[in-house]
Amino acid sequence: MRRSSNRKSSSASAAAGSGSTKAASKEFEKIDHLFNVYADKSSAIIDPEGIEQLCSSLEVDYTDVRILMLAWKMKAQKQGFFTLEEWRTGLKALRADSMSKLKKALPELDKEVSRPTDFLDFYSYAFRYCLTEDKQKCIDIESACQLLSLVLGTQFGPQVDKFTEYLKSQSEYKVMNMDQWMGFYRFCNEIPFPSLENYDSDLAWPLILDNFVEWFRENQK
Amino acid sequence: MSGQSKKKPFKIEAYKHRVEVDPKYADRTWAVIEHAINEIYNHNASGLSFEELYRNAYNMVLYKFGERQYNGLVSTVTRHLRDMGKAIESAQGSFLDELNRKWSDHTKSMQMIRDVLMYMDRTYIPTNHKTPVYELGLNLWRDHIIHSAKIQTRLVDMLLEQIHRERMGEVINRGLMRSVTKMLTELGSSVYQEVFEKSFLDVSASFYSGESQQYIEVYNCSNYLRMAEKRINEEVERVSHYLDSKTEPKITAVVEKELVETHMHRLVHMENSGLIPMLVSNMYEDLNCMYNLFKRVPSGLNLIKDVMASHLKETGKQLVTDPDRLKDPVDFIQRLLDMREKYNEIITKSFHNDKAFQNALNASFEYFININNRSPEFISLFVDDALRKGVKGASDDDVDQVLDRVLVLFRYLQEKDVFEKYYKQHLAKRLLSAKSVSEEAERGMILKLKTECGYQFTSKLEGMFNDIKTSQDTMLGFYNSPYGNDMADMPAITVQILTTGSWPTQNINTCILPAEIVIVCEKFKAYYLGTHNGRRLTWQTNMGHADLKATFGKGQKHELNVSTYQMCVLMLFNSADRLTYREIEQATDIPGPDLKRCLQSLACVRGKNVLRKEPMSRDISEDDAFLFNDKFTSKLVKVKIGTVVAQKETEPEKMETRQRVEEDRKPQIEAAIVRVMKSRRVLDHNSIVTEVTNQLQARFLPNPVVIKKRIESLIEREFLERDKADRRLYRYMA
Repeated sequence: MRRSSNRKSSSASAAAGSGSTKAASKEFEKIDHLFNVYADKSSAIIDPEGIEQLCSSLEVDYTDVRILMLAWKMKAQKQGFFTLEEWRTGLKALRADSMSKLKKALPELDKEVSRPTDFLDFYSYAFRYCLTEDKQKCIDIESACQLLSLVLGTQFGPQVDKFTEYLKSQSEYKVMNMDQWMGFYRFCNEIPFPSLENYDSDLAWPLILDNFVEWFRENQK
Repeated sequence: MSGQSKKKPFKIEAYKHRVEVDPKYADRTWAVIEHAINEIYNHNASGLSFEELYRNAYNMVLYKFGERQYNGLVSTVTRHLRDMGKAIESAQGSFLDELNRKWSDHTKSMQMIRDVLMYMDRTYIPTNHKTPVYELGLNLWRDHIIHSAKIQTRLVDMLLEQIHRERMGEVINRGLMRSVTKMLTELGSSVYQEVFEKSFLDVSASFYSGESQQYIEVYNCSNYLRMAEKRINEEVERVSHYLDSKTEPKITAVVEKELVETHMHRLVHMENSGLIPMLVSNMYEDLNCMYNLFKRVPSGLNLIKDVMASHLKETGKQLVTDPDRLKDPVDFIQRLLDMREKYNEIITKSFHNDKAFQNALNASFEYFININNRSPEFISLFVDDALRKGVKGASDDDVDQVLDRVLVLFRYLQEKDVFEKYYKQHLAKRLLSAKSVSEEAERGMILKLKTECGYQFTSKLEGMFNDIKTSQDTMLGFYNSPYGNDMADMPAITVQILTTGSWPTQNINTCILPAEIVIVCEKFKAYYLGTHNGRRLTWQTNMGHADLKATFGKGQKHELNVSTYQMCVLMLFNSADRLTYREIEQATDIPGPDLKRCLQSLACVRGKNVLRKEPMSRDISEDDAFLFNDKFTSKLVKVKIGTVVAQKETEPEKMETRQRVEEDRKPQIEAAIVRVMKSRRVLDHNSIVTEVTNQLQARFLPNPVVIKKRIESLIEREFLERDKADRRLYRYMA
């Protein structure tokens, strides 16, 4: 997969350049056109309403994880909004310039994300995407639980279920930070479930996971 | 041999005896010698000529009849030995005696024979690798006498029987024993060992095994130990008197094993007389006896040490968890000090100051003193008591000694930072109420703590002293200044100015002071802020005290020494005879718990009840009312009602202090983590925990969970990060 970053900078320069080359504008012509279908006329950005429409066109639910994947592909910065830049980035990477092509690209996207290296990137992106405020570093537990189910639900169902159950029952942690978020993914990958046999709380696992393991073991008895 | 006239060189030749190579020569010469040998054995040597015999023996060798002589010697001596053997075998009561006498005869004879055959000994024998004469004599004795079945068994049995008798208390002929054992050793150390020593050790083992079984059932521990000691000494003495010295370590090992090692557990744990009762009753001599005995056997001392340590831990644990003990902190600590003194004595007097025992004592104390998490507070209260009241009129040196002993307990504390907090609080109270017995003693104590814990520990404490000194100077300045000049009709005020930060943090609770007091306070404040620009003064009304002159019903005048709060309450009664709790509360604005305590001390304590309470119950309720007690009497003119004395904290206060300590620990832990990571750069979790614990253990024992939390906090604040390659490692972020 070609690095979208390069593409982005090239497209940025293409856009910034006073005279966008004919090739570039033509390249994005269809994509831009598609953008404008959903974008808000005044702000020239796809806002939550536009995304809702996009979702119905794609025949995908608003809360479907594939929208998140799409956002990831686009490297969208702000949750609920897609800028033209981001739109171009994403769709070019997917080689889609029409709604039908985009629809077809979604299952491919699903597979792509499932690859371990890509998934790690996607996983951490998912967390950052939820940080709505400027200096925000944590997301509240409720949202974290939902996000976990969305992103890891298929792959690590049992762990996610138990962990969210624990998170909802305890009151010590009201928010989750990036370190804990990533820690959980590592936990799913390295620790067999439900035996938890090689879990060692003397190692560098985040404290929230130590507490989870303790809670889990208590409840097993 | 002929003289010579021809001119040949003059030759000197040895005088040659006319030699007749007579075949019968050897027989005749040998007969002479053989006869001599017989005579010697028959105690008839006086009639022999040494010179003649020597010559004959010499000739035998010279004329190459050495072998004949040698063989003849062997057979002759053997013959005599056979006779001797028979005589010994048939001896009745005096078997050993007979044996010994024959031995004596034989050795004497052999000496003489050797002298006679000296030439052969020096020439023929070495050349032909034969055994030298005397040694030959010994070997023949060994083979024909000692190793003779009849003699050997009887010999050993007799020896052992004698020893047994002596062990049972009889007196035996030690000289004879010595001669016999010496004979065996002379015959060769393997003879001594094979013939005698092995059996001796085996028999001794069964003897002592039996004896120990018998006595262990009957004796108590001290008596048994003394018996064992006696037996060991006996054996040593026995060896020195009539056994070979090499036997000593072997026999003592046997006795030690049978008497001590086999039964050591039973001895130590013997009810009513074992180690623990001995420790409890300070039986120094018996303990010393046990120590010396057990030292001889493997793991003996370890057994004593372990039992002592676990007893200490048990007793200590009981002491520190007994709720009755906990009511009186000073007594609590005194008991611990006494206990330590006691065991110190025991280790010095009975256990030779053995370092391993000292260490066990320290480890035990460290274990149980930290079981009770109020120990730091109590130690501080003990010191407070000592510094306030002195040690019952003792000299400075004595106080010093007491403090040194307390310091020993202090060293055992794991939570030294908790102690520091309490010490600061208590010191503050002492300084402010001017209740120390001597400033020198105070300073001395701080110096000791400084030596123990470093400068950081005590720098703030010293700051407190400085404040007191400075305040004195400030007061002089105040009264000499225009502000303080015309205060004739006003209450005299003394102000202690405390630098925030040096003194224990208090919640600032100001109450409403009486009007007269406010005026004076304002004057002082004006003076102070005039000379010290930019500072802020806050009155700490919960820490002051006052002297009030009170006149009661029949005109009795008393001087009341009270706390600031109490003063505020009492002054209200200048304008009212009766006030309800709520009215007092409103007028003074004193916080609830403090007000209740204050009113209780003014109304409910006999001899100090300057107020009366309605109803007369013991506890203060918010519906009570208070009246001036004009019937108050006291024998003393000056009555002390103040309550600014260091006391054991109540439960809620304790929780609060503990919380503050926990809060203080967090930055210390973080600082330690950062220090460690800065120098190591990359480290795994366990190593961080170990290093941080090492760094902080002089002050307190950090909880690994708290350390982990702090690490995560540092990660969030981007001081640390997890290593990207190996997520078990942490990395320092510069």
